[in-house]
Amino acid sequence: MVEILLALLFISTLMMVTAKRVTAVIISFSHQSFILFLLTLFEAVKINSLELYIVSALILIIKAAGIPMFLRRVVRDIKVNENVGFYIPPVLSLVCVMLLSYMAYIFAGRMLHINGSTQIISFTVSLSVILAGMFMMVFRMKAITQIIGLIVIENGLFLAAVVICGGMPFFVEISIFFDLFICVIILGIFVYRINMLFTHVDVDKLTELKG
Amino acid sequence: MLLFVLTVPLVLAFLPFLIKNHKVTGYINAAGYAVILAGVASIVFNAGTVSYWGFFYVDALSKVFMITIGAVCFTASLYSIGYIEGDLRDKTITLKKAGIYYSLFNLFSFSMLLATAVNNMGMLWVAVELTTLASAFLVGFYNKRESVEAAWKYLIICSAGIALALLGTILMYYTVSAQGNLRNLNWTDVLSVSHRLNPEILKIAFICILAGYGTKAGLAPMHTWLPDAHSQAPAPVSAMLSGVLIKTSLYAILRFAVIVNKACGHGFSNNLFILFGLFSLGLSSAFILVQKDIKRLLAYHSIEHIGIIAVGIGIGGAAGLYGALLHVFNHALTKALMFFGAGNIVRKYGSHNMHRIKGVLQSMPFAGFIIILAVFALGGSPPFSIFISEMIILFAGFNAGSYLTSGLFLLFIAVIFGALVQHYCKMIFGPKPADMPVSSSPYFERASFVFLFIFIVVLGLNIPQGFNRLLTDAAGILKGM
Repeated sequence: MVEILLALLFISTLMMVTAKRVTAVIISFSHQSFILFLLTLFEAVKINSLELYIVSALILIIKAAGIPMFLRRVVRDIKVNENVGFYIPPVLSLVCVMLLSYMAYIFAGRMLHINGSTQIISFTVSLSVILAGMFMMVFRMKAITQIIGLIVIENGLFLAAVVICGGMPFFVEISIFFDLFICVIILGIFVYRINMLFTHVDVDKLTELKG
Repeated sequence: MLLFVLTVPLVLAFLPFLIKNHKVTGYINAAGYAVILAGVASIVFNAGTVSYWGFFYVDALSKVFMITIGAVCFTASLYSIGYIEGDLRDKTITLKKAGIYYSLFNLFSFSMLLATAVNNMGMLWVAVELTTLASAFLVGFYNKRESVEAAWKYLIICSAGIALALLGTILMYYTVSAQGNLRNLNWTDVLSVSHRLNPEILKIAFICILAGYGTKAGLAPMHTWLPDAHSQAPAPVSAMLSGVLIKTSLYAILRFAVIVNKACGHGFSNNLFILFGLFSLGLSSAFILVQKDIKRLLAYHSIEHIGIIAVGIGIGGAAGLYGALLHVFNHALTKALMFFGAGNIVRKYGSHNMHRIKGVLQSMPFAGFIIILAVFALGGSPPFSIFISEMIILFAGFNAGSYLTSGLFLLFIAVIFGALVQHYCKMIFGPKPADMPVSSSPYFERASFVFLFIFIVVLGLNIPQGFNRLLTDAAGILKGM
């Protein structure tokens, strides 16, 4: 069951990397967060911890519903064309992320002495998600895709924390959620401002400050 | 007392919503920071550690950073009174924005104080991320194209960098829970099991931590957000960013370094510190030479000084660490003074471009006089405080036999000194533009200038007993005693 969910999570990440429209990326992100919710719920049932139940509920509310809704509203309001703006075409991006995932697999196997293949695979998937998030931040032009890249990295980090150490301490986890949420809101506000002042949201054209 | 110090900025953050008069808000704000500074001083100069419920933990290392934050935030609050009033007079901001400024100012300093006071390393991450969030709107405060661009870069680069630091924290938590059998991330507890942790994983974790928090600390080559953010923020905020924000991230790195050093020996982290430190020095010296924008010039100086601190930590030993910690304090105060001065100059001449600024000493006699002295202080000439800390680091370097490091260090700071003095002398001396009236600084600005200047001179001549003990204790913690 966990393996199937991990595979789905990985597929949703790849879909984000290859998506051509911003709304498609947002939808894939909400799928990814929903799968993350299921995985956390699964872990919560397994070790029967109230804290993980609360955390999984938070994922469902904030990451799977709240943030995607907010981002979709931003996209609707700024009324720019929906292309994510590729530096690297989708197929090549897919290949790059696959290579990064393979590197993550080698890293997970060699460096962390984890027993059991499920743990290695889940750590590999979480590292791949982190790397894919970074990839999206670097190789996509639109400001919103950078925000999504950031929260994808956060999803990967969360998964890593759950699979290799059973979640961070509860209080820390909640605070990280809070931070992330505020961060996305602030970034969203800045997207509005960029749109207003520059009449576009392409971050590759933000080049007034140099040297 | 610690809880009191942390509550004051939170209360002050609500103040602008109650009081509509920006002047009164400014006065109460400055008075509040005087209280905070007094509170911090009473924590700092009482020997021993402070801890509450295992959540807060303040030892000598935190105290060094705390007193730095207290002093810089106090002077920034003093300087803000005149600065915000000037902005209102020039109609660059509205009254409502002045209120928002004071509110965010307080949240910003609260998050920095919180970062130095928490024990849990996960919470440390949260607090450092909070500093970014609280200061993002301050960087983009003027809502112009440049400032919004700077704020965007600041948020994205620092958040992505700090995500890497979270990965490092998670990796450390993995080995803490697997090998250390510990289910929390309290620094004190982790330190007590550090000998059992897996050195390999700790090393990977430390690289993530150094790259992650190093982004926010402004270590080259992860510094790219720093010149933009420092140059676009309002002057008091630039002073806080450069003086204390980047030091808060450095503090986070140091906390991890203590644990890593205990588990894997000093060699690993020291070499990394020296590498990044020298690279920061070299890169900033090149950019300082060719700089045209006065605030960007100072921003590159922040990269230089964070490099100096990193080299000091990397050289290590009692003297190197002592010098580095002293430099944290000295640089924060001197740089705050320089940014205040730059703020005055930019307001007066209406330009960041150093070629358009001439005759500051004639047009602003008091500020110009202090600025030219502060230039020499920042460059590192005696009898000012930065000279002492740089000398201690150099002394430690040559004593430890790291001649290459010390030689490069000396070369870069010599180049930077020359460039800085040359850039500033062109601005300060010479005749002022004929149609420019002579202006004197308002009373509160003078107070903040003099306050900082006294510290710069006094610490250059003599380090008081209590402060000396504090630095020695903090260096002892870093050495892992």
